[in-house]
Amino acid sequence: MTTPRLEARGASKTFGSVTVLDGAHLVVQPGEIHSLVGQNGSGKSTLVKILTGYHGPDAGMTLAVDGQALSLPVHWRAAQAAGVSVVHQDLGLLDHLTVSENIGIGGFVHSRLTGRIDWRRQDRVAEAVLQRLAIPVSPRALVGELSAAHRAGVAIARALRATVPGEGMMILDEATRALPRDDLARMHALLGRVVESGTSVLMVSHNLEEVLTLSSRVTVLRDGRVVGEGLDTAGLTEADLARLMLGKTVDAVVRPAVTVREQVAAEVTGLALDGHPPFSVTVRSGEVVGLTGLPGTGFEQVPYLLAGAARADAGTVRTTSGHVDLSRDGVCEALAAGIALVPERRGRDGVAVEMSVRDNLALPNLRRRGSRWHVGRGWQHRLTADSIQRLGIKSRSGEDLVKELSGGNQQKVLFAKWLSTDPDLLVLHEPTQAVDVGARADLLRAIGDAAAAGRGVLLVSSEPSDLVEICDRVLVLRPGQEPAELRTTDPDVVLDAIYSAQIPTGASHA
Amino acid sequence: MPETTQHRVDVTAAVVDDEQTQFRLVTDSGETPDGTAPVLAGERTTSRASGLARTFAAKYALIGVWALMGLYFYAQVPDTFGSAGTFSSIFGSQQVLVFLAMSALITLVVGEFDLSVAAMMGITATTIPVLAGVHGMNIWLACVLGVGAAVLAGAVNAFFVVVLDVSSFVVTLGMGTLLTGMAQMISGSTIVSVSSRGLAKIFIGELFGLPYAFYYGLALALVLAYVLAWTPLGRSMIFVGTNREVARLAGIRVQRIRFGAYVGAGLLAGLSGLILVASVGGFDSSTATSFLLPALAAVFLGTAVVHPGAFNPIGTMVAIYFLATGIFGLQLLGYSGWIQNVFYGAGLVVAVALAKIVRDRSRTA
Repeated sequence: MTTPRLEARGASKTFGSVTVLDGAHLVVQPGEIHSLVGQNGSGKSTLVKILTGYHGPDAGMTLAVDGQALSLPVHWRAAQAAGVSVVHQDLGLLDHLTVSENIGIGGFVHSRLTGRIDWRRQDRVAEAVLQRLAIPVSPRALVGELSAAHRAGVAIARALRATVPGEGMMILDEATRALPRDDLARMHALLGRVVESGTSVLMVSHNLEEVLTLSSRVTVLRDGRVVGEGLDTAGLTEADLARLMLGKTVDAVVRPAVTVREQVAAEVTGLALDGHPPFSVTVRSGEVVGLTGLPGTGFEQVPYLLAGAARADAGTVRTTSGHVDLSRDGVCEALAAGIALVPERRGRDGVAVEMSVRDNLALPNLRRRGSRWHVGRGWQHRLTADSIQRLGIKSRSGEDLVKELSGGNQQKVLFAKWLSTDPDLLVLHEPTQAVDVGARADLLRAIGDAAAAGRGVLLVSSEPSDLVEICDRVLVLRPGQEPAELRTTDPDVVLDAIYSAQIPTGASHA
Repeated sequence: MPETTQHRVDVTAAVVDDEQTQFRLVTDSGETPDGTAPVLAGERTTSRASGLARTFAAKYALIGVWALMGLYFYAQVPDTFGSAGTFSSIFGSQQVLVFLAMSALITLVVGEFDLSVAAMMGITATTIPVLAGVHGMNIWLACVLGVGAAVLAGAVNAFFVVVLDVSSFVVTLGMGTLLTGMAQMISGSTIVSVSSRGLAKIFIGELFGLPYAFYYGLALALVLAYVLAWTPLGRSMIFVGTNREVARLAGIRVQRIRFGAYVGAGLLAGLSGLILVASVGGFDSSTATSFLLPALAAVFLGTAVVHPGAFNPIGTMVAIYFLATGIFGLQLLGYSGWIQNVFYGAGLVVAVALAKIVRDRSRTA
């Protein structure tokens, strides 16, 4: 057997009294794509951060690159010299600079004498690495103007600029997460070219399908321990991987049967969407309606348009409590009409993470529950206790800052916050994004409960399994066509409907 | 509970990532990360008790330092520092700074900042004596116009920053310089003064050995603390300052609140100018900018006390009198002039840094 490209043994990390990573092993062979998978909190990002020198490991770890031991904690410059490079999730590109500048950052070709950057030679260096990777962009182009796939390509070119072909190892830390499906294929071809030369790639990804098709072997972490070391992906299925990651089979959330009432909770009429015919939907009280489509085709805009957070060209919503003209009214009017929005980006739009759970829950109710001159504390405490209990939010008390909670619990706070306004129409955007299995089940159950209480729920999501598990019907938005309506419990049917929409002739399996 | 007059300044760790999640004793699914049963109750209470002690230390450390400082000065110069005059010298001399600091505070609470507060104070403190003293205008009308000028300046700031979305650094720095220049123009770059029995009665009449203006300042801080903690307006202001987008999606009229904060800052800065004129009787317009750093220092130092990490009016009050005590004591020890700047500057950086360190440690432990 050849010397492994990278061999990490006995990697442990303890924060305070909590062991995050417990004696993990990771062996990456030359010229392979090796995936590292695990749930949030499984320790995989900690392991990557140890490899990149962000965290120092606990005593007892050994690390070798091409058989040469590296001193610990990792000094990034030493690791770099040994051939390790990294592409982070956000790519770390500066949009207002050129491709050449972005590739050169941290190691510009410069004159010994004056320290001045030799731009001509720098451009040639950039061009060489771009050519080697067959990325068709000009070194003088502005990064901000490139497509998502080319941006990722530039980030990879930067990582590999000093790598001798056939040597080194690149760590891809969820760098493919933001790529649209089409670009993903191009990205995969690029990674194929990288490993063909003999360079190794360590890929951290949540996308199990990607992991299985792309990588030759996979290491699975669960609760800080390696539960599958260097497994050959040839004999694995997504279900196998999921079982390893979770340590149990995942039960689908079964929604209690609710009779959808005749009464209409909300009626959306003539909502103008770019590239789509005007969108209309009627959500009955007690009904959960799913809405999905191809990423980037405009269905993601619907929640914000309905809630008045973004201005629509045309459209109205009529609810039990009122009427909103979406071309004129804003958030306040939408709220008054009983429309509540649970936005996608919880840290940015959803909750104020620097504030306590109680403050966040109370926010949308301040005017309704408090007088102009006084906001009482009694109802806030009751609301907080009730929300914590109902959604099973794990926190020491309502005074905990939201940022001290885990992702799933933050999402529960966000959900409870908007549920507390007693809305007629609850609009949810990707409500189970980046939460673990337990929290997902709790959230889906809470969505079902909200509907059972007589609300209308519009679930806007790109997660087929969520849609089929909780929705009474799913609308698939297709550019230039009327939305397709599905009533199914099979996620694949939803996926097919989404992706068949690309072909306007409609030769589909849906 | 007073925990709520808070606006967190520390925004470095905005989102909990995977590995921070692990700091929690329990995960989403209610199990410890290594799958064992949750931590024993006994361990948890001891750690909570020490946690409470740490929180308390983080909250009131500055008050402890204040007391130690007082004791030190008393030990060094018992005759002078121990005299009754000390109390009124410290507590009766900071009213202008209190109003000015509160002016800076309300913009900081909503996530903005205003570098022109001192100059707005200056324009009021110049306009009143010029109108009433030089031109012989009715003193009350002069006061209204003087404070009105500061409010107008605040509204202009708001227009540029909120409506036109220009950088608040640029706008308020420019406004501050411009106002200082205008004050010099209308005063002819000299010290202008006015004396009014009426003003004196309202502001420097004494109660329990302290001027009325001290109580106005105290009342202002208490009212602001109440507004921020207990009214929809105040809660909205704090959310606007913490996360503007979250506030907007909750139906808060964010732009209106930001605009109002700048205008309010102008009003309070104008009132501090009025108090300055009333208590001193005159003003040298070129000195206005020297009031800026003490006011900002007090507000930031205030984030180290009562509600650590949050701009809060009570903390600001403590900080103002903490700084005043230090400077007064050092002056009694024979330092003068330069000590003021050194103490304000050093006190600010050291105290805020210490508070952050204590806070971080109490959180991760």
